Amino acid sequence: VATVLERNCVGVTGVPDARPIVFVHGFGCDQAMWRFVAPDFEVDHRVVLLDLVGAGNSDLSAYDPEKYSSLRGYAADIVEICRELELSDVVLVGHSVSAMIGVLAWQQAPELFGALVMVGPNPRYIDDGDYVGGFSRSDIAGLLDALDANHLGWSTQMAPVIMGNPEHPELAEELTNSFCRTDPDIARQFARVTFLSDNRADLPGVTIPTLVLQCSADAIAPEVVGRFVHESIPGSRFTLLAATGHVPHLSAPEETTAAIRAFLTG
Amino acid sequence: VSATDPIGNPGQDPRAQLGRLLEEDPADLYENAPMGYLSTLPDGRIVKVNRTFCAWTGRPAGELIGTRFQDLLSVGGRVFHETHLAPLLRMQGAVREIALDVVRIDGSLLPCLVNAVEVRDEGGAPLLVRATLFDATARRRYERELLAAQRAAQESEERSRAVQNVVSDLAAATSVEGVATVIVERSRLALHAAGAALVLVEESATGEADAVPGLRPVRAEGLPDALLKALRVAAGGQLALELAQGVRALPLDERMRSRQPAVAAAMDEAGLTGLVTVPVSADGRRLGALILVFRPSTNGGLISLDEPGTPAVTAPADIDLLWTLGRQAGQALERARLHEETARQAERAAFLLEAARLLAGAADVSETVERLAELAVERLADLCVIDLVTEEGLTRPAARHRDPQLQHLADELRERHLTARRESHPSVQALREGRTQWLRRVPPDLLDSIAADERHAEAAKGMDLASIVAVPLIADGRRLGVVTICADRQRGAFTEADVEVAEQLGLQVALVVAKAQRYELDVRTSHTLQANLLPPNPPALAGLSTAVRYLAATYGVEVGGDFYDVVQLPDGQVAFAVGDVVGHDITAAATMGQLHSVYRALLVDRPAPSAMIDRLQASWSLLGLQRMATALFATLDPATGQLRIASAGHLQPLLITAGQAEFLPVTPSRMLGAPQSPAPAHEWAGVLPAGSTLVLYTDGLVESRSADIDEGLAHLLAAASAAGTSDPDELCDRLLSELTGAHRADDIALLALTRPA
Repeated sequence: VATVLERNCVGVTGVPDARPIVFVHGFGCDQAMWRFVAPDFEVDHRVVLLDLVGAGNSDLSAYDPEKYSSLRGYAADIVEICRELELSDVVLVGHSVSAMIGVLAWQQAPELFGALVMVGPNPRYIDDGDYVGGFSRSDIAGLLDALDANHLGWSTQMAPVIMGNPEHPELAEELTNSFCRTDPDIARQFARVTFLSDNRADLPGVTIPTLVLQCSADAIAPEVVGRFVHESIPGSRFTLLAATGHVPHLSAPEETTAAIRAFLTG
Repeated sequence: VSATDPIGNPGQDPRAQLGRLLEEDPADLYENAPMGYLSTLPDGRIVKVNRTFCAWTGRPAGELIGTRFQDLLSVGGRVFHETHLAPLLRMQGAVREIALDVVRIDGSLLPCLVNAVEVRDEGGAPLLVRATLFDATARRRYERELLAAQRAAQESEERSRAVQNVVSDLAAATSVEGVATVIVERSRLALHAAGAALVLVEESATGEADAVPGLRPVRAEGLPDALLKALRVAAGGQLALELAQGVRALPLDERMRSRQPAVAAAMDEAGLTGLVTVPVSADGRRLGALILVFRPSTNGGLISLDEPGTPAVTAPADIDLLWTLGRQAGQALERARLHEETARQAERAAFLLEAARLLAGAADVSETVERLAELAVERLADLCVIDLVTEEGLTRPAARHRDPQLQHLADELRERHLTARRESHPSVQALREGRTQWLRRVPPDLLDSIAADERHAEAAKGMDLASIVAVPLIADGRRLGVVTICADRQRGAFTEADVEVAEQLGLQVALVVAKAQRYELDVRTSHTLQANLLPPNPPALAGLSTAVRYLAATYGVEVGGDFYDVVQLPDGQVAFAVGDVVGHDITAAATMGQLHSVYRALLVDRPAPSAMIDRLQASWSLLGLQRMATALFATLDPATGQLRIASAGHLQPLLITAGQAEFLPVTPSRMLGAPQSPAPAHEWAGVLPAGSTLVLYTDGLVESRSADIDEGLAHLLAAASAAGTSDPDELCDRLLSELTGAHRADDIALLALTRPA
């Protein structure tokens, strides 16, 4: 039986007794997304990286369609990991869908967390009346189709190689598109949970110090959505980055790091 | 060297030719390569693009330069670019075989496969992205088809499993209700419907083919009553039309709101957004419809991808599945109906047998019809009402409902609405016309028209009466009453077999009622006759106290020819008699009356008791009395106590003196009317002591079904000795209470005389 840490392929680096900072990747790839940001925090934080179940090198056998049919299932894993590592006053940095997973994790165990950083959050992707989420239903249907067309070199023959050799990560490295490779069925369901959830109602109750990090020209989390999140969470801080796209921690790691640090040092 | 070089230009040196061709212009190679070339800045802005890409997309290079590559993609592709392609490029410096759709200038999609590399500076910072795009139209179409086929196979497997489950469950269902349960539950599950109902077409009340068919919901789950009702109304005459159109998926849209506002309102009320009707048929006959309702999928808490107002079931495979379910349901319904009819046939046979048994042992008419009605609602019907024609007019001795909860409505019918019923009521018609009335289907408005008043109609509707059979009771050409049986909607219409059973029952009941009515009339007449012939109280007699009792039999229909008589003759003597004509019927009673009159007439000559017997015997044939009789005749002189008694085959009288009882040894001669014998009658003569009591009685006092007469006589002797009274009234009461129970098989005549001390 895999432990919680094995299940989520949890890696802990940095200063053992320092304030813990947990990075949670979003929809798409895995913890490698944080490679340009995490090292900066290792000098004065205890840095925790993890793969959501179904992503990266997580234990695919732990994927329970029932549990992960809601973001709360993923949030429960974050809580479990923090408890397993006996963390407190955690800075929870969540990208994209994990920004919302972070809110839900805080709801489940508020005592564990000290600050929330939401990178490119979108609580509801599909437009709803006056609310702009950036997507129509048919857009999302098209996205699910695009996923079906991209299995990124996944094949059932490769899966055992990847899953069975966690001690030889180089095997995985050799494979094309390895960071974003996911079992197609899991990818599809994670996409559904990501793009079809509606967590707007969870925002106003957030009472923890929160930073909303918003990119410019983000097609997935438009600025108007970031401002909506900021306005919905009382006392939250909003930082608009010059970085474009949806993954500032890859495209503009310095700017991202600086913004997080500015928030943490207050 | 052949005349033709490898590329087909004759007459030139092939090597030189090939060499020149391979010294291609790199610019031309870039611009017109059989693939699209793009260079972008790290943020995606295009800085260089080849002609091939421009041609493929229909976009001039001037427009493309400066545009972000991701903005040329479909929405799905854009998201994929942001979440996968761009991060991968940063992390591993290259991506291969990413499938993306580029939007052409005319809006159409160009499916591409993209390979890209990131060009970095020495520090690893990104400078440029170079991408090649291959036209993957055919390949992607093939992949899509594969995927679609795979999904279709998966869904088809799920559907076959659903059909298999339905078929195996249906095989186990033996009732219409059971079939409905299976089909409603299974189809609801298979189609993820919010609710489902099976409604069956009812045959029309008139049996005419073109009449508006009714609809009866057999089972409904998750379907609000209001909607079912609205659907029933909406289906109206169009039902046949609707069913003929096959599986119909109807979204709750403007069209429905304007055409079927009631249905739309009921759906709104329940939060439903779609409706599907599926014909249920067997061998081309339309039996009803399966109705499924849908609400916006909750999608496990996720937002539904269905646009609001999308019909719930549109996939051809789902429609096929529903067709199949409809046909399976139809066949199963036919099977179940056959099964139910067989079971009902067995019930009918059992009912008739039980009824025959009941009627064979029938004693009392009202008790019998009550039990018959009870039996009928156990086996044949939901309500059974029996009306009988009596001297007081039409009575309703029985009205039973199968369901004890609804018996009060049956009671109400019995008590309130009997006399006020309309001429159009089937039981009134059956009685008037002397023919069975069969209302196969009773629509509610017909209930109104045959009901006596509003309350009557309400009671009938409360029992949900849907089918009525009224059978007249006719015997010897006389109409004796009506048996009416009713079925509720649940049971369904009475069939011809039901009517046949009702008629057979009617025949049996009529015979029993006729026989019983005749019998009861006889009994009543005899008792009336007898009571009228006997003086209610003996006259007051000088010097004697007397008491008489006459008790009619209490059960069976036996009536006796018992009599007593006490009369004071002009000379002060008292003549008295007790007798018993053979038989227990009206003839016996009539004979007794005649005998009594003749006896009185003969008293004019004051014959001695034995002479009285002789005269009666001698003139018996002249008198034309039809029955033999036993009798005691006696005279008593109250002053002296001189007593003379003669017996014609009668039981000995009892003498009680000072608390001591004994039978007077009066020798009986032959019974009155018995064959001639030469011997004259004996006569006992003696004195009735003052203070003594003489008791005369008929065999009813000492005979019973359980004990023989000697036992009875001994019992009488003991009771008389123990009575401790010389008052004749008191004595009579004590003897009766001691010797008779509540039930008597025979009449009793009792006469007591006391000569005061």
